[in-house]
Amino acid sequence: MGPESELTFSIPFLIERHIGKATHDDEGKSWCPDCVQAEPVVREGLKNVSEGCVFIYCHVGEKPYWKDPNNDFRKTLKITAVPTLLKYGTPQKLVESECLQANLMEMLFSEE
Amino acid sequence: FLLQVKDLFSSLGVGCNVLELDQVDDGAGVQEVLSEITNQKTVPNIFVNKVHVGGCDRTFQAHQSGLLQKLLKENSAYEYDLIVIGGGSGGLACAKEAAILGKKVMVLDFVVPSPQGTSWGLGGTCVNVGCIPKKLMHQAALLGQALHDSRKFGWEYNQQVKHNWETMVDAIQNHISSLNWGYRLSLREKAVTYLNAYGEFVEHHKIKATNRKGQETCHTAAKFVIATGERPRYLGIQGDKEYCITSDDLFSLRYCPGKTLVVGASYVALECAGFLAGLGLDVTVMVRSIILRGFDQEMAEKLSSYMEQQHGVKFLRKFVPVMVQQLEKGSPGKLKVVAKSTEGPETIDGIYNTVLLAIGRDSCTRKIGLEKIGVKINEKNGKIPVNDVEQTNVSYVYAIGDILEGKPELTPVAIQAGKLLARRLFGTSSEKCDYINVPTTVFTPLEYGCCGLSEEKAIEVYKKENLEVFHSFFWPLEWTVAGRENNVCYAKIICNKLDHDRVIGFHVLGPNAGEITQGFAVAMKCRLTKRQLDETVGIHPTCGEVFTTLEITKSLGLDITQKGC
Repeated sequence: MGPESELTFSIPFLIERHIGKATHDDEGKSWCPDCVQAEPVVREGLKNVSEGCVFIYCHVGEKPYWKDPNNDFRKTLKITAVPTLLKYGTPQKLVESECLQANLMEMLFSEE
Repeated sequence: FLLQVKDLFSSLGVGCNVLELDQVDDGAGVQEVLSEITNQKTVPNIFVNKVHVGGCDRTFQAHQSGLLQKLLKENSAYEYDLIVIGGGSGGLACAKEAAILGKKVMVLDFVVPSPQGTSWGLGGTCVNVGCIPKKLMHQAALLGQALHDSRKFGWEYNQQVKHNWETMVDAIQNHISSLNWGYRLSLREKAVTYLNAYGEFVEHHKIKATNRKGQETCHTAAKFVIATGERPRYLGIQGDKEYCITSDDLFSLRYCPGKTLVVGASYVALECAGFLAGLGLDVTVMVRSIILRGFDQEMAEKLSSYMEQQHGVKFLRKFVPVMVQQLEKGSPGKLKVVAKSTEGPETIDGIYNTVLLAIGRDSCTRKIGLEKIGVKINEKNGKIPVNDVEQTNVSYVYAIGDILEGKPELTPVAIQAGKLLARRLFGTSSEKCDYINVPTTVFTPLEYGCCGLSEEKAIEVYKKENLEVFHSFFWPLEWTVAGRENNVCYAKIICNKLDHDRVIGFHVLGPNAGEITQGFAVAMKCRLTKRQLDETVGIHPTCGEVFTTLEITKSLGLDITQKGC
């Protein structure tokens, strides 16, 4: 089917990389309203994920860094929007409003 | 009377339970009870969904009045409104459209692994082993050519340019995987149930789905669409399945195929031979009789000449392989092919790393239980004849895509047919799929785009004296500095003199033929005439503009050789 990264084929990552800067406001909420909305849905979906799955929550930095067209995420990981839920090493991912749909998440987290 | 009623129900696609009173004990007793509860002494005595309808006459009356259909629908515990067998271009388009219209839909898609063990994900032939990877590999080859031309335009670089097959396949397969995923997402979002399982009919309105692990489930639906597509044909000779590959295998091949023999003269054969040669491989094409059967033969001849003379592809004409033997295992290995002439006793043999069979495709209609429900297929080629609303001879079963008898085997045709079918079945539309003037392009090294009739077909339908054929060679500007040949690219239109010189055939051989043809296909749908072409101002400098200045006709017989511009 597609090239399979042996190490990470069945490891889904949520990539919003933390660069050591504060990206949440005083109430602990991110600057990205879509991400705030998606987070509880993703956490709920994770409850049904298989053992051996590693979940990584990664911040993409402050808003200006994210908006920069040359930032690492856009260039290296080809992330075009946040939130993105990405099964690392595969082309399988959910972007923006897709992250709010539990049935789509179930599909991503399944073994295939 | 019983037979008449049975036939009626059969044509409605409804199974019947028949109780023959002269074959059961106490048949007379049953008849008496029937008489009591229905007030009818005669047979046949018909009940539909537990409702008493009557005898033969009453049943036909009920059918006329629509009452019968109503009775059949009510209480119909069909799981789904629509089940689509086949998740390719046609199947997915139909399923999605039906779902958008609010219907409960299931799609079954299953890829039986090729003899070499190749399989793939959701999306059908086009996405996985057809149009998409083909065009990408064609592009890879074109880029090689462009690199070659670039030096003439001043680009300087020291390295020898060479091609890495694995890098290309990885990138292409990556893209295909993202498309597979996209389709799965798309189905889920529209609440279409997708089963990665092999579907076959077990009885009317019911299919059995078998997944990879052999687990079976059954499902029922009011309507069915068969969109199972085709798979490459094998030669039926010694060594073919063990050692040869097909297009099913080529696009995901993990190793470079090396010196390749392509058997066949289909567009698949020529396109594959074309890009393999373009990537620097030693390629031979073995042709049994004519090239691109069904296509305009003048264009086919020019296209293959180009491949032979300018592109370095060897052609072995009028030969068929009779045996393939493995000399060495490997990736690739070494194969010996023995071939016999179709015109005499001569045999030849050759040694190749890879043998690619592209001799045609067979419909996947023989092992899906169609005989259980009486769907007629063409026994010779497995194709399904349908009426103009894609309906088979069984009223609730429809078919779309490559498996249709007499229709173009193209992705956009299947998609269009699928969408319109769903709209007719579940929406309020009555629009039928238009199969006339469907444009297409063969992506050989010199691309060939066409729309409408071939010259042979036009002559057959309209007679030569009623046709005017305009033609011209053209030299793409980009080819001049690059030092590429003149009088190779060719444009031709066929006009019907009896109908205002209506353009009934459009043919172009040259770079970007697909892009050029698309626009002219729209014009032909608008009933394009030669006059309108002449009245259109060309865009300069392009290849397409040649169609706005065509003057020389075949009947005049003047020389069209270009002397440079």
